[in-house]
Amino acid sequence: MYADYAYLIVALPVLAFLLCLFVGWHLPRGGGFLTVLATFAGLILSLGIFSEIYPDKIIHQSMPWFANFNVGILIDPLALVMLLMVTFVVTLIHTYANGYMNGDPGSARYFAEAALFTASMLGLIYADNLIQLFIFWELVGLCSYLLIGFWYRKPSAAAAAKKAFLTTRVGDVFFLAAIILLYNNLAGLNLALKPGEYLLQFPVIYAHITQIAPDQLTLIALGLLGGAVGKSGQFPLHVWLPDAMEGPTTVSAMIHAATMVTAGVYLVARMFPLFYAAPYGLTAVAAVGAFTALFAATMGLTSFDIKRVLAFSTVSQLGFMMAGLGVGAAVGTVAVGVSIFHLIGHSFFKALLFLGAGSVIHAVNTNDMREMGGVGKYMKWTMYTMLIGSLSLAGFPLFTGFFSKDEIIVIAYEYGTLINFLPYIFLVLAAVLTAIYTFRMWFSVFTGKERSDYGKHESPMVMIGPLVILAIFAFGFGYVAQNGFYSYLDSNFEHYDVDFVELGIIGGHVLEGEHGAAAEGEQGAAAEQAATAEGEAGAEEGPGEPWYIQILPIIIAIGGILTAALFYWDKVKKFDPSQVTGDKDPIRKMLLKGYYQHEIMTGWFAETVVYGTALICNMIDIKLVDGWLNWLSAWVMGFAQHVRKVQTGVVQNYVTALVLGVVVLVVVITLAIEVGLV
Amino acid sequence: MISNIVSLLIAIPLLGAVVSFFAGTKAKFVALIASIIPLALSLQMYMEFDKTSKVMQFVESYNWVPSLGVKYTVGVDGIGFPLVLLSTIVSVLVIIYSWGETKKPNQYFALLLLNEVGVLGVFTSLDFFLFYIFWEIVLIPMFFLIGSWGGPRKDYAAIKFFIYTHVASLVMLLAIFGLYFTYQMPDGSRTFDMLTLLAATADKTIFPTSLLNIIFAGLLLGFLVKMPAFPFHTWLPDAHVEAPTAGSVVLAALLLKMGGYGLFRVIMPMLPHVDKAFVTIIAIIAVISIVYGAFMALAQKDIKKLVAYSSVSHMGFVTLGAVAFTWMSVTGAMFQQFSHGIITCVLFMSAGTIQHVVGTRVIADLGGLADRMPKFAVIMMAGFMASLGLPGMSGFVAEFMVLTGSFATLPAYTMIVVFLSIVTTAAYHLWAMQKAMFGPILKKYMNVHEPHAYELFSMAMIIVLTLIFGLQPGLMTDIMGTAATQVMEPVMTLTQMGVI
Amino acid sequence: MIPLELYILLASTMFTIGLYGLVTQKNGVKLMMCIELLLNSANINLVAFSAYQPNVNGQVFALFSIALAAAEAGVGFAILIALYRLYGTIDLDNINAMRW
Repeated sequence: MYADYAYLIVALPVLAFLLCLFVGWHLPRGGGFLTVLATFAGLILSLGIFSEIYPDKIIHQSMPWFANFNVGILIDPLALVMLLMVTFVVTLIHTYANGYMNGDPGSARYFAEAALFTASMLGLIYADNLIQLFIFWELVGLCSYLLIGFWYRKPSAAAAAKKAFLTTRVGDVFFLAAIILLYNNLAGLNLALKPGEYLLQFPVIYAHITQIAPDQLTLIALGLLGGAVGKSGQFPLHVWLPDAMEGPTTVSAMIHAATMVTAGVYLVARMFPLFYAAPYGLTAVAAVGAFTALFAATMGLTSFDIKRVLAFSTVSQLGFMMAGLGVGAAVGTVAVGVSIFHLIGHSFFKALLFLGAGSVIHAVNTNDMREMGGVGKYMKWTMYTMLIGSLSLAGFPLFTGFFSKDEIIVIAYEYGTLINFLPYIFLVLAAVLTAIYTFRMWFSVFTGKERSDYGKHESPMVMIGPLVILAIFAFGFGYVAQNGFYSYLDSNFEHYDVDFVELGIIGGHVLEGEHGAAAEGEQGAAAEQAATAEGEAGAEEGPGEPWYIQILPIIIAIGGILTAALFYWDKVKKFDPSQVTGDKDPIRKMLLKGYYQHEIMTGWFAETVVYGTALICNMIDIKLVDGWLNWLSAWVMGFAQHVRKVQTGVVQNYVTALVLGVVVLVVVITLAIEVGLV
Repeated sequence: MISNIVSLLIAIPLLGAVVSFFAGTKAKFVALIASIIPLALSLQMYMEFDKTSKVMQFVESYNWVPSLGVKYTVGVDGIGFPLVLLSTIVSVLVIIYSWGETKKPNQYFALLLLNEVGVLGVFTSLDFFLFYIFWEIVLIPMFFLIGSWGGPRKDYAAIKFFIYTHVASLVMLLAIFGLYFTYQMPDGSRTFDMLTLLAATADKTIFPTSLLNIIFAGLLLGFLVKMPAFPFHTWLPDAHVEAPTAGSVVLAALLLKMGGYGLFRVIMPMLPHVDKAFVTIIAIIAVISIVYGAFMALAQKDIKKLVAYSSVSHMGFVTLGAVAFTWMSVTGAMFQQFSHGIITCVLFMSAGTIQHVVGTRVIADLGGLADRMPKFAVIMMAGFMASLGLPGMSGFVAEFMVLTGSFATLPAYTMIVVFLSIVTTAAYHLWAMQKAMFGPILKKYMNVHEPHAYELFSMAMIIVLTLIFGLQPGLMTDIMGTAATQVMEPVMTLTQMGVI
Repeated sequence: MIPLELYILLASTMFTIGLYGLVTQKNGVKLMMCIELLLNSANINLVAFSAYQPNVNGQVFALFSIALAAAEAGVGFAILIALYRLYGTIDLDNINAMRW
């Protein structure tokens, strides 16, 4: 029954968007309650759908659109958990925004854009085909652009918005190319599609992966990964995400932490069978993810802007999720569950941290942590909720982040034992840094002395309420949901016609259990099947690791927090950070500059290479393409300048010419007759 | 069911042009009525149009100069009809947009209507003689629109526009004569009938490949200059920059489409029978136009010139789709014609509005205008987003179809170049938006205000149209798909043609 | 009867004189007179030929031609008067508005 109204999950926020856009100016608080209600209705519907289809059903509705494409709704376990998370978190953030944006003259515009974002994000999640997913993918990008540039009078905000759009656009081009490549490959198979089936629908794609050539699969997978890298702020396209913090904090929480940036991870998860079948597909995902996780964490260590710290943290955590999917090469579909679990958990505690940061900024009126300090005395609620968020992010035992991140590190270890230890090492180092920068932030904001004169008040209840609710989830979700979650998501691809054994053979993967068997050489199909069954069982049970690997994440978290405390908590302070690294330290400078990414990407690539090419083209156009035309016309004009001299204006000359002409004609004709030509 | 609906479609704006010329200050009302009636007629045609039929519909044919085989034959099919609809829509909106024109309004609106006559004639005539007459008629009002209402370098621009396109038209005329004088009807007479002549080009005994190559090249030149494609595009930016806003809109939205229409109507049926090298040449021209246009737009300082070069880039997709010769790409290219026609209107209207509200179009001199004209900023933003291919708006659907279709036939590296241009396209649009509309409002612009309601209205209508056709492309692609099948029926793929 | 050759000689002499004047003279009135000479030489030829080849067509033509010459002279002198009013001279070297 709820399933029949699934379209409303998108339609209601669209309605809210239109209402806010056209009549929001006349409504209290810019019509923010409409956006909240629309999203909340989506949450109710999602819960209803959950109750209907859990644990073993999916919803698939579809209707033709144009040409060979359709629009449709596909709600499987993967989409469902994302729907629940997004509607839930976004409802809270919209509620919070009602307080945060209160009094801003553009609040109607804010809520309109936020509602459009909500609609697009939800549409992205339950799209049943790649083209529809791409459309919503671009729309969330548009909303991100609009909302980053929300304070468009600020030049830095306008520039950051442009940068975000263009950088993600680079990724989107790869994504688009992948879609087109996939479409053409599927179209080339000349499939006999049943009525209601379309080429780019996920079930159809899943069912025909095995028929596509492996090198094409790799190209497609890399293209999709390019899209995911752009959207999820992975290296080397992460540069837009820290700048995106120019937007309102609610935007950062909603788009750039909890929902939109996870779309890239979601895409990889959604196309996991294809990645799995593509040789090097998952390897690339793992490499990108693990590298980004560490790379971004190092930058998070040095930033003084509270929101930028969180932004780098988001990049780093998204790297964890990517790596989690990437190591699925070794552990199979269980990687999807693990990664998405971290995605969900992360969205709770990162939204919490951003909203907490927003609450602090709301009071302190600056983003700079050097001007904060001791805020905890005045903002108890914010301090403790943020503490929960920080503990969760740092992976402190029993908090959500502990379960989710720990699990990624564990499967990375399994990947290491089978294939390569590099992702594991990167992730462990990143986890250490995560704990350190998180608590560097928490200590320097909430403890110590007040380093500047700022507004000392707690935020209103409409802002605190969401914080508390998110804190509860950031604390308890992991413990409560873990096991059910894994098994539910693991069943995701069982609803489709997809055989992971076959895909694994194409992709050159061997599942854990069959590793030894496959290593011996070519095996009969029967032996492989048996081995796979064993492998899947092994992957689900997981712990084959030694005890020190199991306990390592706990040590990491606690050790990191203690390290941060020694540097930044005034009560136990042992070291001064400035003594460890001076201002002139090149490494510190490089980290502060974000590895000179801005200089390279914007200064060199965009402004010099691309704009330079444009200027060269312009010169060619003026000098050459238009030049020859102007040259030709100038030549004709010049020639005419000479010829016109014949017109002397003296009648006698004309007469003379006339007579001469007659004479010449007579002579010529006479001669011609004489010679006999005529 | 109205008989002679196509002739009415052409006659009413013509009558309107004459009346509004003598109507003095009332000319705009006359013009509005004389353009709304054709719009209503074309909507009526849309209702009656048989989307699955591959033959010409609403055909009317009368002898005109029987001794020369000239007939007055008009009719539409899936190639022409979407453009007829586009012409009538754009004409109405342009006339509304120009409501405030005070300089010689009677001549102004008469010329706009005359333009509509010419364009509608081109899209409906099925006789080469008639086709050529309408093709040339279009030049005249546009020449005067640029020459009388234009900017500081209007004389240069008007003459350049006229001579450049006229020379190309003459080459095309020679090619038409080539067709006319080569083919003899079974009874020995000659004919200008388009479909007959084009069908005859398939016959190697009548048109040996060497002869057909020359004819084909002549026709191709005529159409590519009109599109315009690299390297024949330089008349376009000059004409656009100097033309009055309405002139620019009509020029970009309708006149350029004549070139694309020629590609589908004339070039594509001949393509299988000429030298295979032509496919490569056209494809190269298309790809260069797309990429080069995008880079050129990035380098421009004048917002109108930027938009002009974006037209070069977008029309490159039409050429690309046509030459890629798959059903998907051809349909997409036809849709791109329609889609670019509506989207470019809002871009040029935005540029024109900035010009007369602020007084300059130089991007570097603008800043923070969104602060003073928020409604305009929203509409302009929507237009720019549509132009850079945002999904949900018609431009995306067209470009996606062209790219998907072309991917199958064209070599991968050409596609990579085209993909890169997508990023560049986004870059120049966003850059212009950011510089002109965002940032702090400059002091000298504190007094600017929202443009007139009629300007906002016509722009908003176009945004609505892009959304409608972006969300429900089937409204057009159903018609175009049939036309694409019909065009490609003789030889369905490039592979079968032996090109690749 | 006077031989035809003499008529032709007269006519061609007149024609040559007219032509010479047309090429060398600069005064507008003189040019008009030269043009009259040219026309009349043609008329002489017409009349002479028609007399020698019994046929009145030539004489009719000559009459037409005379009438035309009169009209032409009227228009021509009118133009010259207008030029004189405008420039104060009828020396054609000074009247070169049509010059490149």
